[in-house]
Amino acid sequence: MNEIARRKMFGLFLVLPAFLFVFLVLFLPAANTIIKSFTEFSPMNLQQNDFVGLKNYQKIFGNEEFMDSFFNTLHFAGVSVFFELILGLVLALILNKALAFRGVIRTAILFPWVLPTALNAIIWRWLFNTDFGFFNSFMKSFGLISRNINWLGEVSLAMNSMIWVAVWKTSSFIALILLTGLQSINDELYEAASIDGASGFQKIKSITLPLLIPSILLALLFRSMDALRSFELPFALTQGGPGGATQTLSLFGYRQFFQFLKFDQGAAVSVVQFLFILVLGLIYIRVLKGERDT
Amino acid sequence: MKKTLYYLMIIALMIIFFFPVVWIFLTSLKTTGEIYAWPPTFIPENPVIDNYRTVFLESNLGLYIGNTLIIAVFSTFLVILLASLAGYGIARIQFKGASIFLVFFLAMSMFPQLSVAPSLFLWLRQIKLINKFLGLILVYTGLFTPIAVWILSTYFKTIPMDVEESAKIDGCSSLRILFQILIPLALPGMAAAALIVAIFVWNEFLLSLIILSKDTLRTATVGIALYPGEYAFPWELITTATFLAVLPLVFVLFFFQKNIIGGLTAGAVKS
Repeated sequence: MNEIARRKMFGLFLVLPAFLFVFLVLFLPAANTIIKSFTEFSPMNLQQNDFVGLKNYQKIFGNEEFMDSFFNTLHFAGVSVFFELILGLVLALILNKALAFRGVIRTAILFPWVLPTALNAIIWRWLFNTDFGFFNSFMKSFGLISRNINWLGEVSLAMNSMIWVAVWKTSSFIALILLTGLQSINDELYEAASIDGASGFQKIKSITLPLLIPSILLALLFRSMDALRSFELPFALTQGGPGGATQTLSLFGYRQFFQFLKFDQGAAVSVVQFLFILVLGLIYIRVLKGERDT
Repeated sequence: MKKTLYYLMIIALMIIFFFPVVWIFLTSLKTTGEIYAWPPTFIPENPVIDNYRTVFLESNLGLYIGNTLIIAVFSTFLVILLASLAGYGIARIQFKGASIFLVFFLAMSMFPQLSVAPSLFLWLRQIKLINKFLGLILVYTGLFTPIAVWILSTYFKTIPMDVEESAKIDGCSSLRILFQILIPLALPGMAAAALIVAIFVWNEFLLSLIILSKDTLRTATVGIALYPGEYAFPWELITTATFLAVLPLVFVLFFFQKNIIGGLTAGAVKS
């Protein structure tokens, strides 16, 4: 073997351990879940393993609770990502000008991101507490509400409260992604626009936004994928309540698996969720590739 | 004038981002009577540390935090070991299929946990690794290796090729070049990846919930999130425990925010 071939073998050899681990822990289990979604299977009876075609899918799509959590998930992901993007953009534009206190500001915007989602949910559960919570007292002192409101316990409010908690936590991460995009824009463009007499708003509209589109797209896909698989937020904030108003696909699937031991139907749920994320993921890889080619 | 407005905006942002945790910290210092009073007070009238004593003596919080540390240390170590080798191989040796591996890792990092959790649970049960730290450590190693490979391969690309070539001329073997020259140069990148992986471990919920279901083995995030469900577990203790579990992250963030941001942007944005 010549030296170049040996070096290539060496490269492959270095990647193999990581590949094997990831293959065993992520790829095989996911493949198994997909296969099981077409069979009749229960963890109580590991022998039984009959192919039943799309029966599990028919069952879950006939299940009202599934359909509710399906639309809840879309609602949650759509609305929260929309607001996160707008707030993230505003934040990034403000922070892009920051010259002093960079370290402190960075720490501040990264903080919501490092906060574990489940603990964040617990914190907000306390802030939203009907009888002793800060949120009600704050709203009352500004005269925005006249009686204490059960933010997490009323069907009409719970989803919006959950969206708020997600927006608080994630806008700053989006801002971070957009900030990297902003900092790669050449300052000369703005200078040239200033000479031509462009206003600040015009500059944002015709220079910043168009050049920021790749970063916006990345942030959008990144967060949508995350929002579509939301699990611990509803688990720790509302347990999917009241009356299923905040139950997401992940939470519904988890309950099928681990509470009702309907492994096969749970598998079908996670395949449906997986397909959503797959489509987004393929777009994501496309965008990354396009970025690299240009 | 403009400057003042700008600083006011920054201060407002800081309040918005830090307030929830400040609020639970203040709550943790209040007496039970003060917590369940309306309207809520801002600064505790008689600050006490009783809640901190109680949460360690009467709940498993100490165990939870210890468990999380053990799992975080071992899985982060394994992830960085595997991902450094793979990241180096992908970034610096142009072998056939290197970019396919990179896409494979990227795709795997997007898998929803729910699609792997049930199979992993059944398989780990068969090999008796449910309710064992080792079970969760192995799972985390697989779960977080993809993102670390992504970060580290980006980092290895930034190290100039000359370094390696001159070593080769001096007659160093490939493995020696990797361990004696490149790994030391890549240490900042490895540290950033390690911090991010450790933060992810501290965050992870679903797999920890199902693999370590025994109360004394739980990780901090799961253990605390289950407090409100346990009968009459009071809010003064929940807020205290939450604050204690968040505190290490605040320190990590404060001292290493630069590295973390560098690693994140390498992993998520640049390619």
